Amino acid sequence: MKLAREMFALGAVLVLSCVFGVVTFAQGLDPAALLKPTPDSWPIYHGDYSGRRHSHLSQITPANVRELTLAWAFQTGQAAQIKSSPVVANGILYVSTPDNVWAVDARTGAQVWHYTYPANEGFHIGHRGVALYKDSVYLTTPDDHLVCLNARDGTVRWNVVLADVKEGYWTSVAPLIVRDHVLVGLSGDFDNIPGMLKSLDAETGQTQWTFYATAQPGTPGSPSGGATGGNMWITGTYDAELNLVFVGTGNPTPVLAAQTRPGDNPWTCSIVALNPDTGDFVWGFQATPHDTHDWDAVEVPVLVDGNFKGSPKRMLLQASRNGYFFVLDRTNGKSLLTSTFATVNWSKGVDKDGRPIHNPEKDPARDGRLVAPDEGGATNYRSPSFDAKTGLLVVSSRDAYGIYFSKPEHGTVGWAGADYGVFGKAVLRAIDYQTGKIRWNHDLGGGWASAGVLTTDSGLSFTGDSVRSVMALRTSDGATLWHSAIGHVGNAPITYELDGRQYVIVASGGDLFAWALPEKPSGQIRSSSRR
Amino acid sequence: MMSSRFYRLRASRGYGLVLALGICIAALSYAQSSNGQDSAAAKPASRPVPESPATVEQILAGKTLFAAQCGFCHGRDAGGGESGPDLMASALVEQDVHGDKIGVVVRNGRPDKGMPAFGNVDPQQLAALVAFIHDQKAKAKEGRRRTVDVSDLQTGNAEAGMRYFNGAGGCAKCHSPSGDLAGIAGKLPGLDLLRRMLYRENERGTEVTKATPTATVTLPSGQTVTGKLAYRDEFTIGLIDPSGWYRSWPVTQVKFTVMNPLEAHIEQLGKYSDEEMHNVLAYLQTLR
Repeated sequence: MKLAREMFALGAVLVLSCVFGVVTFAQGLDPAALLKPTPDSWPIYHGDYSGRRHSHLSQITPANVRELTLAWAFQTGQAAQIKSSPVVANGILYVSTPDNVWAVDARTGAQVWHYTYPANEGFHIGHRGVALYKDSVYLTTPDDHLVCLNARDGTVRWNVVLADVKEGYWTSVAPLIVRDHVLVGLSGDFDNIPGMLKSLDAETGQTQWTFYATAQPGTPGSPSGGATGGNMWITGTYDAELNLVFVGTGNPTPVLAAQTRPGDNPWTCSIVALNPDTGDFVWGFQATPHDTHDWDAVEVPVLVDGNFKGSPKRMLLQASRNGYFFVLDRTNGKSLLTSTFATVNWSKGVDKDGRPIHNPEKDPARDGRLVAPDEGGATNYRSPSFDAKTGLLVVSSRDAYGIYFSKPEHGTVGWAGADYGVFGKAVLRAIDYQTGKIRWNHDLGGGWASAGVLTTDSGLSFTGDSVRSVMALRTSDGATLWHSAIGHVGNAPITYELDGRQYVIVASGGDLFAWALPEKPSGQIRSSSRR
Repeated sequence: MMSSRFYRLRASRGYGLVLALGICIAALSYAQSSNGQDSAAAKPASRPVPESPATVEQILAGKTLFAAQCGFCHGRDAGGGESGPDLMASALVEQDVHGDKIGVVVRNGRPDKGMPAFGNVDPQQLAALVAFIHDQKAKAKEGRRRTVDVSDLQTGNAEAGMRYFNGAGGCAKCHSPSGDLAGIAGKLPGLDLLRRMLYRENERGTEVTKATPTATVTLPSGQTVTGKLAYRDEFTIGLIDPSGWYRSWPVTQVKFTVMNPLEAHIEQLGKYSDEEMHNVLAYLQTLR
């Protein structure tokens, strides 16, 4: 019976293909569509180039969100957690874990194909997602390859090496597509290696340029003051009018011991603006000058246009791992506002350029220093979301303390110290970007929440708590309107609308869950067409 | 903010596994750049001749396997991460001979502590893992590993610590040097004592009673039930009742209070100067 139904469906598709051949064969994602994503897609890691993770969809509202029902679930059947943000185009959703990509029907959760990368020695810490360009899917691998797959069937088109896994690099990032550039940041801070962002030709995989956050090996007179590191392991954002890509850079190495790297160590723990065509550095802003606590500033640089203190500005917002919230003028990287959004005890205030002032008293020491936040930070990879109507950046944050140690015996390679989390507590916070003040706090249940945030035009914020629930909050005041205990949410939610139905997708463990309002009865007798 | 109400319990029997898993997930999730180490130890140039009969090939194979499968929790160098202990400091590793102890743990996991079982590991892979772990341990003795020694933690002033304990710190409100803290320094050495003093429950410190939150729930009938807090989120409260049964209620249908004896420790984190912290530690270290 099932086969007969499928044959019938296939036949229908073939007939339609002949009639609407052009439409059918045009399937694929034009990179220009990333400038204005359609409502039936989530074509790129953040949903669009702005990093706001905000959707204009408004079928699901504060009034009806209590009716949300499970539209479908997809089980990878694997132990690896889904930490990635799925991408959706042409009715197909692509989701990844290390070494794996699944293409599933975005309407039903039915698997279309599954690609498995060969077993390898890279660090299988997590995977953030894939990228789409025309009819290709791009996957970064733990052993530093970029694999280009045919989006139709998951077959390999090409596979290129980004870096040497033996040097201590790995990759987990979802690439950023800008025209024909596939931008891929490397990961790795267990070794003294420079942070890299590479641009590859989307068609051929050839390297177009490489940006080094710190000195390229063999380059004398480094401005980074002897520091290596600064890897760019979260997907950046892009302003097409300025033709600038914005990306956050990771911590310097050696991580906790800083005697061999005096000074501010640019461009580690920074936000940098690059020309996507050349990789040229345009400006940089250091979130943590001379970091000694592993506070990568890779968190999403969120692009917001609007008035700031009365004058129109093109801004960049970042809630950074070190506990500081920054508003920058993204045309030049100058500070507009700096505030804290979580417990911070490590700085001596803020300098005239809006940068926190390093306090050597809180550097890791032989007998330990009690530091807030801890190594995991006041926030981390968890995507925030910006809602323009309320002017709020909703951030999964933590108030946390750690103890940091370092002594000469720890050496000057890699971690070069020890640190331990003492206590941490997850709180969802809504930051008013005009003032830096917290509009509301929503306790997430202590401990550690792993979910990112999605906001929608109807005034909803979707996220997960630190215990077991996915939930929808009212963006204006943080009140809980709906939840479901599907397990600890491990990724950032996305949304899209197909056939007039809005879906919200979240992951827990190795499973994806699609939530939607109940389907309306069709009123048709289903079997009649098959007689 | 109400930290006690949403305090995430860690030691409940009923939900130990769920919580361990949650902690594991949390640690994995953010370990992107979190559990690092002194990788000088991993450089071939500084590699000493292995003391064990394991071959260099085995050690290298074990290193690769360890990095890919174990490094999340134990650190890529086996020196410990946020969720997995430092294997260099592990008594089990110390006692292990050719994998007789390590193998059991790898194959069966430690579900109670959140370690998954790696049941499908083959003997060759296991031998490689064991060779790597022992090689790391051998190198750790050279002092290049990230360790915190008891001798590092002797900078405080015990007398000032005692004054702080009895005065500004408020420690004496709940603790007594001749009561619950009698002999604490002998039970928890160095770093373990510091971590326990600050907040964290210590996995290895089984001799010392752990503080657990207590919940009191008032039912619509007016009846109250008090017991060890067993589950808590925004929607549900659960406890172990006096007869040992797990019971839970929707928070909208009952009234409840949670007493977390560690609440004062959380507040204290924002008050300690580093000097005060070291002084109190110095004082506790006199309680032998």
